[in-house]
Amino acid sequence: MFIYALRKLTLLFVTMLLLTLLAFLLGHFAPGDPVYKLIGEQNLTPAQYQEVYNAYHLNRPLILQFFRFIGNAISGDLGISTASGEMVLDHLLRALPATAELVIYALVLAMVAGIPIGTLAALNSDTPLDRTILACCLIGTSIPTFWWALLIILLLSLTLGWLPLSGRISLLFEVEPRTNIMLLDLMLSDMGYRAAALRDALAHLFMPMVAVATIPMTQVIRTTRSTMVRLMREDFIKAARARGLGRWLILRHHALPNVMLPVSRDLSLQFGTLFTGAMIIENIFAWPGVGRYLVSSMQQQDYPALQGCLLMVGSIIVLLSVLSDLLHTAADPLTRKDLSDVG
Amino acid sequence: MSLLDIRNLSIYGRNDTDEAPLVDRISLTLADGEILALVGESGSGKSLVAQAVLGMLSDEWVMNAERISFDNIDLLHIDHDSHRSLLGEDMAMIFQDPAACLDPMMRVSEQLLESMPKTTPWWQLGRRKQLQSLISMLHQVGVRDHERLLTAYPHEISAGLAQKVMIAMAIARRPRLLIADEPTIGMEPSTQGQLLRLLSKLNQLHKMSILLLSHDINMAARFADRLAVIYCGQVVEAGPADAIINQPMHPYTEALLASTAAGLCRQPPKTPLPELRGGMPRRDHLPIGCRLGPRCGYARKACVTMPELTRSKVRDYRCHYPLNQRIDVDEEDA
Repeated sequence: MFIYALRKLTLLFVTMLLLTLLAFLLGHFAPGDPVYKLIGEQNLTPAQYQEVYNAYHLNRPLILQFFRFIGNAISGDLGISTASGEMVLDHLLRALPATAELVIYALVLAMVAGIPIGTLAALNSDTPLDRTILACCLIGTSIPTFWWALLIILLLSLTLGWLPLSGRISLLFEVEPRTNIMLLDLMLSDMGYRAAALRDALAHLFMPMVAVATIPMTQVIRTTRSTMVRLMREDFIKAARARGLGRWLILRHHALPNVMLPVSRDLSLQFGTLFTGAMIIENIFAWPGVGRYLVSSMQQQDYPALQGCLLMVGSIIVLLSVLSDLLHTAADPLTRKDLSDVG
Repeated sequence: MSLLDIRNLSIYGRNDTDEAPLVDRISLTLADGEILALVGESGSGKSLVAQAVLGMLSDEWVMNAERISFDNIDLLHIDHDSHRSLLGEDMAMIFQDPAACLDPMMRVSEQLLESMPKTTPWWQLGRRKQLQSLISMLHQVGVRDHERLLTAYPHEISAGLAQKVMIAMAIARRPRLLIADEPTIGMEPSTQGQLLRLLSKLNQLHKMSILLLSHDINMAARFADRLAVIYCGQVVEAGPADAIINQPMHPYTEALLASTAAGLCRQPPKTPLPELRGGMPRRDHLPIGCRLGPRCGYARKACVTMPELTRSKVRDYRCHYPLNQRIDVDEEDA
């Protein structure tokens, strides 16, 4: 187990290094003079140009610049946004919690709704109910996220008028940002109308959450279903039935714990897709997260911000994947056995 | 009074009810405290019989029977819940490949606790006390090193140990009938002996009846009081174990006996190995007449009609020309 963890951490290190390299090269090899890209100002006097050139150590060899870039990134200096003049890190720290909020709620929704639905399908396998669920899953996976989001808006917001169109909370409420996680901030704040604000925030949250959760949920449903169908034929389920245990007890004690592992493992492979989906959704719902920051930076050719986003989001996804892999390995007695067999 | 009474049980595939049944009119009775062994090759339908008794026949099969009763409870017309509670209380089953019958994600102790009798609610009976009764049960089934076993996951224990755990789970509620489906297949002879001794001890101490399903006629005969030999879903011979072993009346039983190690030792040197020609016929290519007919060394003209099960005082056989009959009759006369 220790060696396995070490191997994974080495992999993590190498991946992070490559990611940093990519972010670094983005700044240097994208078309345009690095100086203008870093500073964003087009009309520089030669003296100013030289000053920037030296300040960013552009006169040094590329490899040294790269090391400096890594050093800066580790110390938290991701550069200054050319669009707003703000430190990139500060903006990211504001945007990340918003994205995290969206992604985490979506993940929870995917699990909470997906596992029961998948179980339902498995227990009624090859019935019309099962086929309907599977068909819905197929539609859910194949539908483009942005179009699906627009459809939800069209239905729930524009036609029925039940939910607000965009944003995190109505502008009427002024929430003091402390953690930048809206629901948590609301809980912490001592403003009046807190219940109303909370309700409003939840109403704003609903549509983006559903849109982000759709694809992971279909994945959860399908994995749960197939694992459960396979499990129900396993000997230990048969043996449990022969011992006279009730259907519900078998499901809760034996089937679900065995289903949870493959499901969450499958889900953890989806982190990348999940974040990408969230970024698209953020733009549609004007959700002030990393995705919106990234896209607006692209439009403004804000290279430091782009580098920062790439580095931050990339490392978070890589880190989460490795972490969940380690956790899964630690939680599953059978993989632990395989590992100890290998040596 | 018989504990388990099966009369004319037939089991068909769901989609081919017009084809020959997999289990053809099998009748078995098992007295209280008796050990009955159902002997047959794999595919002969023994496991299906066991599943039918437990009410766990999967949807692929359809069964019909004149009677299946357990302790005068009619299992054919029992509702699902009472059948299940019967499974928990009075009937239990252990399977082949015991390691696969334990939940791989759960520690052995939790699984054992789950099948302990719940006579008192859990909040009155402390976990400590429950563990104690659990450990004493493990000692009963011959586990010495219970500490290590309780914290282990199923993949960490040997097959013999896993089978002991299964037995412990099965006997936790003192069932009156234990169905053992090839409980020792693929295990070392010493472990096999250990498990069989354990089972017969339980049989003697607690008057637990055992229905043993096995392919090994010698082992079954040593262990069981009575044998029923099955071929292609039909009982070909049934009777007291000693009598069948010493004087098989059906050619199939004789062939089974000859093919075991003990049987082979009795052969003179350099004789060809005794064997039945060919293999067991597939279900959709069953021969007309006696099912053993084409493979039987003694087959004669009459064997093209299906022999009915002949019931004598103690022994049943399904053969037109039974072997050893003269001796049998003589003995009965004597």
